[in-house]
Amino acid sequence: MMEGDEFATVKILFFLMAMLAGASVRAGAEPVRVASLSTVMADLARDIGGERVEVVEIVKPGMDPHIFEPAPGDLTTISNAQILLASGLGFEGYLDRLRPSLKRSGVVLVVGGEVVEPIEGACEGHDHSEDHHHHGTADPHWWQSVSNVQLVARQIRDALIATDPEGQGTYKKNAAALEVRLEDLGKWVRLQIVQLPKKNRVLVTSHDALGYFAKDYGFEILPVQGISTSDQPSSQKVRDLIGRIQERGVKAIFAESIENPKVLGQITAETGAKLGGVIYADGLGSGETGTYEGMMRHNVTTIVEALK
Amino acid sequence: MRGSPILRLVLVAGALVLLALPVWQLTRQTTSPIPAKPAAVAEDLGDYRVILKSSGTARLQAMVANQPTASSASGVENFEAVFSMSANEPEDIAVFADFVDRTRPSALRVMVEKGGVVLVEKTFWGTGVVEDVLTIPTK
Repeated sequence: MMEGDEFATVKILFFLMAMLAGASVRAGAEPVRVASLSTVMADLARDIGGERVEVVEIVKPGMDPHIFEPAPGDLTTISNAQILLASGLGFEGYLDRLRPSLKRSGVVLVVGGEVVEPIEGACEGHDHSEDHHHHGTADPHWWQSVSNVQLVARQIRDALIATDPEGQGTYKKNAAALEVRLEDLGKWVRLQIVQLPKKNRVLVTSHDALGYFAKDYGFEILPVQGISTSDQPSSQKVRDLIGRIQERGVKAIFAESIENPKVLGQITAETGAKLGGVIYADGLGSGETGTYEGMMRHNVTTIVEALK
Repeated sequence: MRGSPILRLVLVAGALVLLALPVWQLTRQTTSPIPAKPAAVAEDLGDYRVILKSSGTARLQAMVANQPTASSASGVENFEAVFSMSANEPEDIAVFADFVDRTRPSALRVMVEKGGVVLVEKTFWGTGVVEDVLTIPTK
C-alpha cells in the first residue's frame, strides 16, 4: 500500500499529465475559422482570438469595399468558415444575398453595425438600383469612433465564446487587454484633437466617411462625394464646396487611401488649401496602418498636423 | 435719306454706342473687393478660470489650443489658470497631473468657472500620471 505522501505525489503527477495531454490536444485542435468582410473586424478578431482563431480576410487592406463583390472562391471560403464578420449598415450591399447560404452552411454572421448607434450619412448622385451598392441612410463607417469599436470588440468576443466555449478564458483575457488599449487610444485621440482650435475643425475629404469621428470630436464635414466612393458630386456641389472652403478658411483637405486624389487636387488649386495627406476611411492599410490602433493614430496625426 | 454724310455717320455711331452700352455694363469686370474674412468680426471673449486639485503632490498643467500651457511647480496639490476664450464656443481644456508617487491610484479634480459660475467639474483617475480633456458645455 502507498503511504499518504506518495499517494499525493502520484495524484499531482496524474493531474500534470492530464493538463499536458489537454494542452497537446488543444495545440493539435483546429482553430476557429473566421472569414471577414471588414479589415477592422479582422484585426479585432485576431487580437481577441489569438492562436485559437484563423482569420481570413475576404476584403483585404487597400481594396475599395464600396465596390467589392465576392468572387466564387470567396463564397467557398465563407461557407467553410464558422464565423463571418461584416460591417453592416449597408456597407456590404451583397450581404442580404449571402444570408440564406450562411444559414444553410451554419456560418454565424456577426454584423458590427447591429451593436452601434448609427448616425445619418449624406447620400447623393448615385444609382441605388446598382446591386453592388445598396445602403440606407445610416453612415456605415462606424469604426471611425473608438467607442463603437469597443462595442464591436465585445460582440466578437461573445461570438467566439459561443463558437468555442473552451477558449472562453483566452477570449475574455485578450478582450480585456484590448479594451484597455482602446480606452488609451480614445484618450490619446482626445489629447491630440484638443490642440486644434474649434474653428479649425473642418474636414474636407473625398467622401463622407468620417461622420462618427466628426460627431465624437466636434468636426464639421465637407465631403466632395457622398457616403460612398461611387457617389459623384455635381458641378454645382463642387462650386458650393469651393465657396465654403474659402469662406471657412480651411487650411487643408484630405485624400483617401483608395482613391484618386485628382478631384481634390483641382479643388486645392482653386481654394489655396493644401493637400493635408492621406487618411484611411474605409478600412486598414498596411505597415503602420495595418492595425486599427495604427490606422487611427495615423489619421489623427495627419489631421491635426495639417489643420493646426 | 438726304443730308450731310457726316451727320448720318454721327447719328449711326451714337445709336451703336447706345446699343452697346448695356452689353458693356453686363460684361465688364467689376473691381469690387472680395468680402473680408469672418475673422475681421470682433469675437466675444471671456475669462475662464480652471481650478485643479490633485489627490497627492504633483506637477499640474492645463492647456488650450493656441495658448501657452499653464504649469505649476512640482509638488503642489492646487493650481489655477485663467484662459481667455470665445464666450460662445470655448475651447476644450487638456489637463495633466504628474504625481510624485507614481505607484498609487491618483485623482485630479478639475473645475471651470466663468464670472464666478461653475460651468463644469469632473474628476479624472489614473496611476502616477493623469491626463485627459474637459469639454465646457455650450448653451
